Order: sequence, then C-alpha cells, then structure tokens
Amino acid sequence: MKFSRLVDKFENLVNILDEGNNIIPEKLEKLQQLLEAKILRYKSKLAVTEDPEKRRKLETRLKVVAAQLEKSRKL
Amino acid sequence: MLKKILLPSILIILSYGFWVSPDFKEIAAGVSIFLFGMLFLEEGFKAFTGGMLEKLLQKTTDKTWKSLLFGVFSTTIMQSSSLVSVITISFISAGLVTLVAGIGIIFGANIGTTTGAWLVAAFGLKVKISAYAMPMLVFGIILSFQSSRYLKGIGAVLAGLGFLFLGIHYMKEGFESFKDSFDLASLAVAGYPGLFLFAGIGAAATVVMQSSHATLVLILTALAAGQITYENGLALAIGANVGTTITAIIGSLSANIQGKRLAGAHLIFNVVTGVIAIAFISQFVWAVEVVSNKVGIAADNYTMKLAVFHTLFNVTGVLVMVPLINRLAVSLVRYLPEKELGIAEPIYLSDAVLEFPETVLSSLKKEVWHLFDSAFEIMAHGMNLHRTEILESTDLEKTIHDDREIHEFDLDELYESKVKVLYGAIIDFISRSQANMPSVFSEEMFRLRNAASEIVKCVKHIKHLRKNATRYMLSDNEHIRSEYNRLRYQISMILREIYRLRGEDDYDHALAVLELDELKAEILVTHGELNNRISDVLRDNQITPEMATSLLNDFNYVDETSNHLLDTAQALLSSHADLVAEAAREVVLDEDEIEKASIA
Repeated sequence: MKFSRLVDKFENLVNILDEGNNIIPEKLEKLQQLLEAKILRYKSKLAVTEDPEKRRKLETRLKVVAAQLEKSRKL
Repeated sequence: MLKKILLPSILIILSYGFWVSPDFKEIAAGVSIFLFGMLFLEEGFKAFTGGMLEKLLQKTTDKTWKSLLFGVFSTTIMQSSSLVSVITISFISAGLVTLVAGIGIIFGANIGTTTGAWLVAAFGLKVKISAYAMPMLVFGIILSFQSSRYLKGIGAVLAGLGFLFLGIHYMKEGFESFKDSFDLASLAVAGYPGLFLFAGIGAAATVVMQSSHATLVLILTALAAGQITYENGLALAIGANVGTTITAIIGSLSANIQGKRLAGAHLIFNVVTGVIAIAFISQFVWAVEVVSNKVGIAADNYTMKLAVFHTLFNVTGVLVMVPLINRLAVSLVRYLPEKELGIAEPIYLSDAVLEFPETVLSSLKKEVWHLFDSAFEIMAHGMNLHRTEILESTDLEKTIHDDREIHEFDLDELYESKVKVLYGAIIDFISRSQANMPSVFSEEMFRLRNAASEIVKCVKHIKHLRKNATRYMLSDNEHIRSEYNRLRYQISMILREIYRLRGEDDYDHALAVLELDELKAEILVTHGELNNRISDVLRDNQITPEMATSLLNDFNYVDETSNHLLDTAQALLSSHADLVAEAAREVVLDEDEIEKASIA
C-alpha cells in the first residue's frame, strides 16, 4: 500500500473520530434502544389514558417514534 | 509619530550593533531563530487545536485543581506560557471555559513555564544542541510540505523545535565570545534598586522578544558565560515573568471582556508574584541554596540555581494566589464590567477564535441561541404575552385565554436592535471564519447559518401575525378570538417545549432532537382540524368571510413559524452535541415522513 493511501486512511479515521460526521454503529444502536424504551413508555401511558384528546395526541406521538425507529433501522 | 520612527530606529541600532560586533550579530541571530522556532511551534499546534485540544480543555478545566494542572501540563508540552495564555483567552472569549477556570490555567501555566528553564538548564547548555536541531529541521520541513493538515502540523512542530534549539545554540555561541566585549554586570546596582533595575531589563527584554523563554535562555546563557551575577539573573527572571504578560495583553485586545479580564488576572498574578519574589529575595536565595544542596547542584552552577529559583517563586505565587481565585474573578468582573447597550451585541463571536474551527462552531452555536433568545422576546411581546407567562404558567392555554393585555412596542425597532444586529454579526463572522474552516465543518456551519436565518423569518412572520392577533384578541366575537388564541398557544407551546428541552441537562440530546418531530406531527393534525373548523364556523355565520381569510393567512404564518422554530431547535440541539444526538439528526423525519406517520 502506498504511503499516501495510508495517510488518507488515517485522516479519514481522524475525521470520523474528531468530527463525528459518520454514524457510528454503536451510537445508532444506543439511539434505537432509547426509541424502543420511549415506545414502551408511550404505550403504557396510552393504556391508562381515557381522555380522547390526550389519547389522540399520544397515538400521533407513538406513530412518529415508530417511524423514527423504522428509519433508524434502515440506516 | 513614535510608531513611525520606532521601526527605523530599531533597524539602525541593530545594524550598528552588527557592524561593531560579530558576537552581537550571533546573539541577535540566535534570538531571531529562536523566535522563528516559536512561530513554527505555534503554527504546528494550531493544526491540532481543531478538536482534540479543545474537547480536552472543556473536560479538564471544570475544577480549579484541574485547570491548574492543565496549565502546568499544556505549558510544559508547548513550552510557551504566552501561547497557552493567548489560547486560553480565545477559549474564554468563546465561552468554553469560565473566568475562574481560565485564571487557574494561567496560574498553572506560570508553573509549567518553569519547566522550560529546567529543560534549557539541564539539556540546552550541556548537550550539543545542533545535533538534535538539524534532523528535526529536515524532517519538519519535509513534513510541512505535505498536503495533510496533521502532517503539516507535525512538520511545523518539529521544525519549530529544531529552530528553537538552533537559536539556543547560536545564542550560546554568541555569549561565549561576547563575554569579553560587553559586561552586563557593569549595570549592576547594589540592593533593591539594582534588583528593580534588572527586573525592568528582564521585563523589557521579554516584551521585545515576546517570550519569557527567550529571556530565560538569554539569562542562563549570560550566567553560564559569567556575563551577569547570580543576583542580577534572579532579578532578570522576575522581570521576565512580568514581561511575559504582554503577549496575553496583546492577545486580549481582540478578545471580548472575559478575555480582557483574564489578561488582567495574568498581569496581576505576575506583578504580585514579582513583588513577593523581590521583597523576600534573601529568603528565596536561602531556599534555592537548600533545594540545590538537596538535589546536588554545585555551588557555582548558577544556571541550575536560576531554574530552581524560577520554579520556587512561581510555585509560591500560585500558592498565595490560588485561595484568592474566586475573589480575583469577582473583582475583575466588578472593575472590568460588561458594556450595557440598548442594542444586542454578539456575546460569543470573537476574532480571537477565528483560527480554531471547533471553537468557531461552538461560539457560533451559542450565538445562534443568543439570537434565538432575542427573537423569543420579540415573538412573545408580538403575541402580547410575557416570556414568563410562556415559560412558567401552569396552564398555558388558560393564561393565553385570560390575558388580553396589549403590549405597546415598536416591533420594527426591536427587530433592528435585537435581531438584525445579531444576525448580521453572525453572517459576518461566518464569512470571515470560512477561510480557516476545514471542509468537514462546512456542513455544520451551513446548518447554523440556516438556523439563524430561520429565526429571523420567525420574527418577520410574527410581525404579520401581530396585526390581526391584536385586533381579534379584543374582538367581541368569541369564535375568532378563540381561534387566534389557538394560534398564539401553538407558537407559545412550541417555544416553551424548546426551552424545556434546551434546559434539561439530564435529558438525552438525541431524544430531545427527535421529540420535536412529534410536535411537528401534532401541528400537522391541528392544521387539518383548523381547516374543518373554519368551514364550520363560516357556514354557521359565526365569523365573517373576511375573518376567515385573515385566519387562513395567519395560520400559514403560524405554521411556517412553528416549523422554522422546530427546525432551528433541532439544528441547535444536535449541533456540537454527543454522537448519539448526531445519529439522531439522520433519523429526524422529513415533511413527507411526518405526514405519512401522522395519518397512518
């Protein structure tokens, strides 16, 4: 391998670590765990909520979080 | 006038010196090479200040002892307390470290700088320096020609060290043969006047050379060559310590008030330490003898003794001043107060940080939040609400319903003085910092610029909304009044949520960024409901067609304002945050995805 290519690889690594521009798999996994926990939280809240207005809002929020989780799994 | 004649005078004096004394020429060349090395070294370190150093600074200065240690270590590594002071001023200007932490670093730097004397004393005058200098120079220059920013940095550091050592070598050579033609000792005066005279010479030399290390090298080499007496050397070292603050003072000229306060702290510390050292000179001489005997320094080895003295009086200064750090900070704030102006001024945008990409982004983010705060004030009053009502009321909907007080103020004037000025400063700062920004930061910078621009749009939309909101707030028609209250509530609720998420330290940044998507979906649902409701009340003649038109127009303003606010908050909360929050940025839903999710 040429020295310049080695340097490029090193620079890329530094950029990833330094700037955090690329998504690090472990961080994405952590994010998914947070979203899954949030879905569970919303579901348990929904189970005890009777007010239709509040239920509707919770349902909307639940759908959004589910969509975010789905999107994160595609990354 | 003085400025005009200063440079030619210096050049003439130097030329005369070169003409009459080849030794003087060698010393001057040595000093020049040494300073050139310092410049290289500084440039080299700048290449690494993009990330690592700054992050380290934030984590390692949250306690006084940590900031002290940071000052000691960073100065030991960089071998320049002036460089550490100037960088610290730039960090404090950017709001990265507190004034107390900054003072701690400066105090630590004064101990760290003493390691230079030890290095020079232990190696500089004993080893054939040029043997190390030459390879460093060669490798350094080769690396500094590379395109990579980091290799260039390493090259500049190596070349800097090479020049530094080469400079020492020339100074040493110059003093060796200079010894017979000029005697610094002839300036000696007995007692305290003599001490003050040499302290003054030391301070002046450091001011001219912009480096206490250079002065120390001069002192040590002159001492080694027997040019000055031991006591003269001590006084020169004291003066050098005071003179070193000039770099920090010059550095603070372009900094904000916090930077100026830090430079003030630096000056106070060094003057107080110098006065203590002169006042207790005989005690210090005794302490130096004791330490020298303990560590086995020969009685006539004045160079090492000077290194001991330099360390002792700086450590004493720190021991005396550390308990007073908080009091010193309070006094500096009192005597160097913030300017109070009717117009908003940027708080975090300092030219001193322009060369540090990460600091630029961090300052920029803070300034955009500052702009957000200013805009919040206008938006709240524009909707005839107080900021405390939005942020603190237990039942926001009821508060908005009950509060029918009209806020009389000139929105345009407030916009000009509180928003436009800041926005202009942000745009100007971005354009000036772009030259030094690596391409990897450009996207982040663009995001922050966009956020600032969206804040400005929000204020303009509120200006449009204000007219009808004020008019219908007082209307006897409860239907239109209620609809406009709903619009006021929507924006207020969003602002309240943004401030809640921003203020919660324990809350995960990533979840905060994504939670704003949920609000976007709620707004979308509300939009559909409003359209249905308007048709209903219009059909039942509860509002006039004119009212319905105003309502629809204003709802568009509210809708856009809401989305701008949420986008801005997402950009700011995810900017410069942790890596999970940066991953969350990629998961944020776009308009279509939110629509799809909310109607699913």
